[in-house]
Amino acid sequence: MARARVEQQPAATGTTLIVMVGLGIAFLLFMAFLNVVKSGNLLNESNLLYAALIFYAGAGALYLGFGVTGTDSYVRFASLATWAGLAANTGAVAHRWYEAGHPPFASIYEMLLSFVWTLAVLTLIAEKKFGVKVIGTVTMPVAIVGVVLMQLLRTDVHPLVPALQSTWLHVHVTLAMLAYAACALSFALALMFLIQDKMQNETFLATTSLFGIGVYLGILTRFENWGGLSVVGWNAQEKSEMFLQRGVRLFVVIPDLGWLMLLVLLVVAAPFALYIVGRMRKNEALFTLANRAVFVSILLQIVALLVFLLRARAGQYPSLDAEGLYATSLAASPFILSGLVSGIFSSLLYLLLLWRRPDLERLLPTAEALDRITYKTICIAFPLLTLMIAAGAYWANRTWGSYWSWDPKETWAAITWLVYAGYLHMRITRGWRGRRAAYFAILGFVVVMFTFFGVTYLLPGLHAYA
Amino acid sequence: MAVHIRSLRRKIWQALSSIKTGVVLLITVVVLSAAGTIVLQRPVTDPDEMQRAYSPQVLRILDAVGLTDVFHAWWFVALMILVSLCIIAASIERFPNAWRYYARPYKSPDKTFRRALPIQKQIPIADEETGLVAAERSLHELGFKPERVVQSNHFSLFAERNRISEMAVYIVHASLLLIFFGGIVDALWGWRGFVKLTQGQQSSLVELRDGKQKSLPFAVRCDGAGQENYADGTPKKWWSQLAVVRNGQDLQRKEIVVNDPLVYGGVRFYQASYGPTGKLEKLLLTARASSGPGEKKDLALGLNEIASLDPDTTVQLAEFIPDYVVSDGQVYTRSTSVQNPAAHLLVTSRKSGKHVNFWLPALEGFAENAQSPYEFEAVDLKMGYFTGLEVSHEPGQWAVWAGVICMGIGLTFVFYVAHTRFWAVPVREANGKYTLWVGGLANRNREAFEERFRELVSKIEAELKTQAEVPARTRVPSIA
Repeated sequence: MARARVEQQPAATGTTLIVMVGLGIAFLLFMAFLNVVKSGNLLNESNLLYAALIFYAGAGALYLGFGVTGTDSYVRFASLATWAGLAANTGAVAHRWYEAGHPPFASIYEMLLSFVWTLAVLTLIAEKKFGVKVIGTVTMPVAIVGVVLMQLLRTDVHPLVPALQSTWLHVHVTLAMLAYAACALSFALALMFLIQDKMQNETFLATTSLFGIGVYLGILTRFENWGGLSVVGWNAQEKSEMFLQRGVRLFVVIPDLGWLMLLVLLVVAAPFALYIVGRMRKNEALFTLANRAVFVSILLQIVALLVFLLRARAGQYPSLDAEGLYATSLAASPFILSGLVSGIFSSLLYLLLLWRRPDLERLLPTAEALDRITYKTICIAFPLLTLMIAAGAYWANRTWGSYWSWDPKETWAAITWLVYAGYLHMRITRGWRGRRAAYFAILGFVVVMFTFFGVTYLLPGLHAYA
Repeated sequence: MAVHIRSLRRKIWQALSSIKTGVVLLITVVVLSAAGTIVLQRPVTDPDEMQRAYSPQVLRILDAVGLTDVFHAWWFVALMILVSLCIIAASIERFPNAWRYYARPYKSPDKTFRRALPIQKQIPIADEETGLVAAERSLHELGFKPERVVQSNHFSLFAERNRISEMAVYIVHASLLLIFFGGIVDALWGWRGFVKLTQGQQSSLVELRDGKQKSLPFAVRCDGAGQENYADGTPKKWWSQLAVVRNGQDLQRKEIVVNDPLVYGGVRFYQASYGPTGKLEKLLLTARASSGPGEKKDLALGLNEIASLDPDTTVQLAEFIPDYVVSDGQVYTRSTSVQNPAAHLLVTSRKSGKHVNFWLPALEGFAENAQSPYEFEAVDLKMGYFTGLEVSHEPGQWAVWAGVICMGIGLTFVFYVAHTRFWAVPVREANGKYTLWVGGLANRNREAFEERFRELVSKIEAELKTQAEVPARTRVPSIA
């Protein structure tokens, strides 16, 4: 084992990763400290959330450390940290519920709050009940991204408009969160299955690169504007997006950011291009080059994120639709932000795989077990999805007088349902196991993510408040 | 010729019932619905925006193909019907087999079955009866109700649970068809429209989505409507007090709010909006005689209402303009929102029949306020409000909800309820000794079932041990 590790990569890189994670935690702690100073109130929702964030980040780092070194004590502390984070998260949910007087599902902020909570619970269940110890390596980063996003979105309790005052809405959203969390879990399990199924690193490389291409293409096609990046204007006083008129958002253009995104797209696409060329020419050396390109792409992605952070946080920008200069905010572009962050995370996860694959393989359950658990998670997710759609239809029927109106969110929920239905049919009647089933599970989760984020931010529609 | 037709029919049937067709159709549905969310859709998006988004040529092509209204295009409906046919065909094709399996459970396993079953165990027993009794007791303890099955010259045991789980998948598919059926019924015979009512008004006419009007066999009357706000001014609640009227009789009354409609005769009325009509309900004024220190008199006038001020003089509210503007010597209405209101009063003397135009405020060139025997002052405006009701008739929705409930039940059975079966057969070996062959089968969740099977085996073994310890004569006489 030790020899394999030496051959795999010199020990120094593992430390680099831990140092990187450590620096990240330090940064987050600093943010948390600033906020406590600002509010001067110890036990409120945002502080509880910061506590949750720190614990989740710690847990994530420890899970990562476990993934890297395989030290069993790490995972004990990691689940301890997850428990602590979950406790703080529960406190935040309860506080929010008490404050708002309704379950926290009304805005995208509140939904994220519930989603992260569900994810943490499921992680602990998967770890304790099914013995999938490294699951936290995937789910904790997602939880961290969720909590960080929450910090940027508006947090004041907004009273519910009449259409949202319904028990059925709460049922609908609770089911949606549970179903989506189960889908996320099945996705993570399917990925682990592929690792255990001896899928080649290069294939993972290509997929990671493809994911990055998807993210940056999405950003560019939707927001790019003559080399600039069109983002929604932000009214700092009212803490809300700016509107030209009812329902029409005011877009401001951050100059040059579009070019930067285009550059990052090219670099992110490089590993994929190298992979394709390497495959065609059967040239292994190109794969090594592709791995190097991943490093460069991570660096550039981080640069893009930082530039975006800096420029969106401060500065006044012109708009094409109105005279004058307007401010924007990170909270106004959750899609771009989460896209950038998840792009970096997926690349980092690929690095983890590249460097520590033998350890990962040793720690994960067997391929058959993972295949089975993936199927079981989908068996939980699918009925939840069904009930979620039904509850939503019932609510719409009570509110607008029609149970199905083909708006994009509804349609995409139906598409998600169909994809998982397809998975189940292929598995049960055609006996699909292993790789093909895992691909299907991954596809299902991609569609879920598009339904959750993509539809709200990339497509026009009626589900404007969620 | 007849053979040809028959073989063609067979071919169509096979194609319809094959899972491959099903998957291809599913993918087509997915792709087309996705297209329907990316291309802007017609009835929802207003025409101006469509023209802004697409060039005329592209728009013409999209319209011609039906991509601007995917979900109501004939080919999408045809596709949904094809999917339904596919589900029906596949179910019919597979149902008889499943039904045989369900209706005539396999109770007495033969030698080949016993050899092939993956989950099984042989337990040595003294004789047939002890083995059967031990297995019966153990199965009872596990909550099963074993039955004795007659083999050629001895008994065997069969116990099962949740046989319905074998049929659950048909329940799910049938419920999906039920939902489709409801949707089709609603698409054909359902309608949606809008009614706008002010307080006290009643109407039996519904303005439909396509601009046509529909007359209901009854009328709905609004007895009151209002809005409650949160502290920050955003609306918290809209309510309307509605009554259903037929032949002058009130048949039903209800206060509806958003999320809680009034239902009468299959027609549902939803609270959809609430707002000012721009029309005046009452103008509150005070009147005082111009000559001498007269008393102030309070008046409340609706449009065209007349009030008498003294035996000789009357006042009428002749005009109310919510937002006036004077130009070219005429008074115009600029908008219906109360921003710059003006009222035109007509003060009439009965004796002389003389009219005086009194304007509030005194508009130059129109007002003859100085000549009026009374002075008027506006105190308050009571504006009229309308309540907007969404009206819908969905005769198929019961099928939809029934389908949803059936699907919930079906899916629960499909995923969480396993059909478990146990068999116990006493077998006489070649050497004359007896063994009890115990086997089990579950249609899902095999690991949990294996655990259960091990439990059963250990229970039987324990039971056999205690039976062996009890002296033979105290044993229960055998039924055989």
